[in-house]
Amino acid sequence: MSVLRELASELCKMFVGDAWLTAGILIIVSLTACLVGYRVAPPLIGGAILFLGCCVVLVASVARSARGFRVRRQGRP
Amino acid sequence: MISFATAAPAVSAAFLASLVEVVEAFTIVLATGTLRGWRAAIAGTAAALAVLVVIVVALGPLLDRVPVHWLKLIIGTLLLLFGMGWLRKAVLRAAGIIALHDENAAFAAETVKLSDAATPGRAAFDWLGGVVAFKAVLLEGLEVVFIVIAVGAGRGLLLPASLGALAACIVVLVIGAIVHRPLARVPENTLKFAVGVILSAFGVFWTGEGLGIAWPGEDLMILFFGGAFLVVGLCAAQIVRRATGALTP
Repeated sequence: MSVLRELASELCKMFVGDAWLTAGILIIVSLTACLVGYRVAPPLIGGAILFLGCCVVLVASVARSARGFRVRRQGRP
Repeated sequence: MISFATAAPAVSAAFLASLVEVVEAFTIVLATGTLRGWRAAIAGTAAALAVLVVIVVALGPLLDRVPVHWLKLIIGTLLLLFGMGWLRKAVLRAAGIIALHDENAAFAAETVKLSDAATPGRAAFDWLGGVVAFKAVLLEGLEVVFIVIAVGAGRGLLLPASLGALAACIVVLVIGAIVHRPLARVPENTLKFAVGVILSAFGVFWTGEGLGIAWPGEDLMILFFGGAFLVVGLCAAQIVRRATGALTP
């Protein structure tokens, strides 16, 4: 049973390594789907939003982790 | 007939990603085989491979039933989650925020864990060793299966992608059999960086196609996305390294 639990947890970690990154990607994909699906924006604009949004989410996630690292280091005696 | 230009990105992505996963699995199987005996290590590995075959055989026909645009959207989104997760970690490692993955350290840690447990008699089967090898191969193998399906399913490139993964397995096994120690000199973070870039590029491409976006230049856009993710990743690593003053190990 513990093997199965460990497997499930590892599988989950495959896609949800960082909750903030996961949430950001899902929001960007949903936003693009709404914009393209409801024809609010032309498909190519939706594509640009998808790609640039992913880049922004990546940079923000890295910056967030780096900030946490800096705070932890400054907090050290 | 599949052209080289069409198959090359899928084959190289499957090869590089599988190389990383197989190296990790090899380290644990090697530790198990060395400490607990090769019978358990080989049995655990074989059982995991059998489970993986069952999963692939069961999943294969299901994939054909999913409408193509849904398949692309689901796989694209999963690729984004998986690939950008790898890319994020690779950027943080390159910036010195998190430690580089060290196969020698992983081997040593696994050795300590396995040494602590009691060893059964000569005739008895070592279940602990078998389960450890089984888990390692199954977990890393599942990632390989996902990557092969993800980069291959959308365009009927499952066979070339599988061959890329198989080639990675053969390379690691041959080198591993010769050197008989963890493959610590594989530039794992560089590989993970490259694979993260490629998978993220595939992710944006498939997700967009799944949403009905007709990319200009079609498959060539994967190269553009890959190049752009590479530049963004390298710049982010550089900026974070300067800002935190972290030392790159």
